Amino acid sequence: MKSILKQILQFWAVYYLILLGAVPYFFPADSRLEIATKFNSLMIYSLLALALHVIVGYTGILHLGIAGYFGIGAYMTGILCTPIFPFEFCFLYLIVIAIVTAAIAAVVFTAPMLRLRGDYLALVTLGFGQIIIFVIQNMESITAGTQSLSPVDPALVPKWSYPLFKSLGFSETWLNYDWKIFPNFYLLTLLMLMLVYWLLHNLEQSALGRALVALREDELAASCMGLSPVKLKLIALALAGAISGLAGCLYVTSISSTAGPKDYGFNRSILMLCCLILGGLGNRRGLLVGAFILVGYDTILADILNTQIQQTTWSTKVKNLLQPSNWKFALFGGVLILIMRYRPEGLFPAQRKSRAVKTPLESASQSTVSPQGSVSIAPSNSPLDSNSAKQEN
Amino acid sequence: MNPAILQIKQLTMRFGGLVAVNDVSFQVAEGEIYAVIGPNGAGKTTIFNAISAVYQPSQGEILFQGKTQYSPFRFRQFLFWLLIGLFTGLFAMLIGVNVNQLWQKSIRDNNITDTFSYAAAWQSAKEYIEARLSTAQIALVSGFVIGVAASFSVWNRSRRTTDSIGRMGIARTFQNIRLFQNMTVLENILIGLNHECKCSFWSSIFRLPSSNRLEEEAHQRALKLLHYVGLADKENLLARNLPYGDQRRLEIARALACKPALLLLDEPAAGMNPTEKNELMRFIRQVRDELKITILLIEHDMKLVMGISDRIVVLDYGKKIAEGTPKEIRVHPEVIKAYLGE
Repeated sequence: MKSILKQILQFWAVYYLILLGAVPYFFPADSRLEIATKFNSLMIYSLLALALHVIVGYTGILHLGIAGYFGIGAYMTGILCTPIFPFEFCFLYLIVIAIVTAAIAAVVFTAPMLRLRGDYLALVTLGFGQIIIFVIQNMESITAGTQSLSPVDPALVPKWSYPLFKSLGFSETWLNYDWKIFPNFYLLTLLMLMLVYWLLHNLEQSALGRALVALREDELAASCMGLSPVKLKLIALALAGAISGLAGCLYVTSISSTAGPKDYGFNRSILMLCCLILGGLGNRRGLLVGAFILVGYDTILADILNTQIQQTTWSTKVKNLLQPSNWKFALFGGVLILIMRYRPEGLFPAQRKSRAVKTPLESASQSTVSPQGSVSIAPSNSPLDSNSAKQEN
Repeated sequence: MNPAILQIKQLTMRFGGLVAVNDVSFQVAEGEIYAVIGPNGAGKTTIFNAISAVYQPSQGEILFQGKTQYSPFRFRQFLFWLLIGLFTGLFAMLIGVNVNQLWQKSIRDNNITDTFSYAAAWQSAKEYIEARLSTAQIALVSGFVIGVAASFSVWNRSRRTTDSIGRMGIARTFQNIRLFQNMTVLENILIGLNHECKCSFWSSIFRLPSSNRLEEEAHQRALKLLHYVGLADKENLLARNLPYGDQRRLEIARALACKPALLLLDEPAAGMNPTEKNELMRFIRQVRDELKITILLIEHDMKLVMGISDRIVVLDYGKKIAEGTPKEIRVHPEVIKAYLGE
């Protein structure tokens, strides 16, 4: 009985994701929209945390500038969509462009630095994150500087495909505006989160994912096995850039503006890193919990508590003192200290999956293993089949 | 004698003022078990590191299967440098002429009326750049040169890397065991098999049937290999939880998974008891005989070395002092002097 329950519960991350889709419906209709907006940003930051997870969790590169890629995706979307500029692309194009540009930027700007290791590379990524902020601030005619580009209200699909969609029963207003209102965009974000989560699940089980983890474990040994560290790191960076570009695009579209450059700064990167550490470095599921706790506090709980406190009859001084959003960095710091002290591997430490052996290995069973671990092998039973064993050259 | 699989010619390794390996030459024939011995600090591991490209030789060369280990120049490389150069050139030019202003002039100023045309924007951009032609040209050219030169130098420095050596067919183990500690035993082997699991990025992230099949094949091969080295029922343990002897065994198994033509073993018997050493001796011989892998090993245990090596080279203070069969080495006056003193 217990084991059945355990088996059912082991997919809790999937249940959590499905539950996220239903969350707004637990609330009364008048506050549903507000709740949905908040959970939307939770999901977007979960995406960003997943992006960071690809770099920090798999390859072990400490990356402190993930919000930079997020910003590139966001501003790419903003620039190509606001009516200030003539482009006004549709969402379908924007999402692809944001993903591709952020991935390219991740590769191009980090590739020259890959010879650095450990802390030095971490510092360079930190610098990269800062540079992006200053570029956004100073390219005023492109990015509107410290103000934001708005409104970001793209149509869903390109104009030329409207007849097709109209014949499928979508109205023009739906394609232009209504696709963004409550259940639609919320579910779209959730879908993207699930998709990325699933893709990373596949990646982890593939040869490529293993190679990335091997690189984290021991770079020299991995490279002696013929794995190219440079290539693998660039793949991880491109993937992380792509996911953060996606998150950036969704973020900008969800809040209808690019916000200011501050949104893509160091704080954001560190918050994401905290989510990873809290959840357990290298664990995809733990990261969802980390993001739920930290981002959830930041964007959801703090706001709710704020309004509750404002409604009380306490004096303004007390109200200001108690404001939870003022306490957030102190709280994050405290949480990190506690985690580091009592559970340095995070709430859900990463585990390697043990694999069930599918076939009982009839062919290899002739070899017998003595208690000391010595082997005696039937001579025909060579593990490297001699046809393909020799190198081509 | 078989043809040489590995030739080391006048290899010298310098680290600052220290000469770790001085003018050492030897040849390893195909199918041989060849041992490198010498007192501590004689430069044995340095030679291994030079062979597997952890270090680049200061002088001399290392030939594997009659060829240098440097990756050849391809025309595709040249095109890649040009592309990088072009990219950095354009990047430098945009920064040089102030991309912010350029955007203002070409996009913003043309977008005031409702009739924005890309042709007009292009025209204004051209006018803007022409007004700053010399700056633009200087930035473009210098960016191009820097880009090409940088990408060339990166390529030049990475012509001989540990991973390219690994793919060529030289696998190695390490003096201090370097397993992937937090991965399972099976995964450690799978990493060794990785180079032939040629599933693409896309097929692996979307888990297409082709990648599933390759994965399944790799698993079976890995399990077979684990049987072969005697770790059959331990595939799901974490590597760091294995006993010491098994860790050594696993490291050799991982190296074998790369299907090497030449296997470098760096002190495989370190820390083993006599029974384990005998096992290891048998195992090394078995690997050579059954898998036809040439073996080059460093070892301090004289019984083991004398027992399995076909030929031995002796180093002392980075210099080669003797080379020959175990019988010859045992009575070589220089070797006795190096080990026992005058």
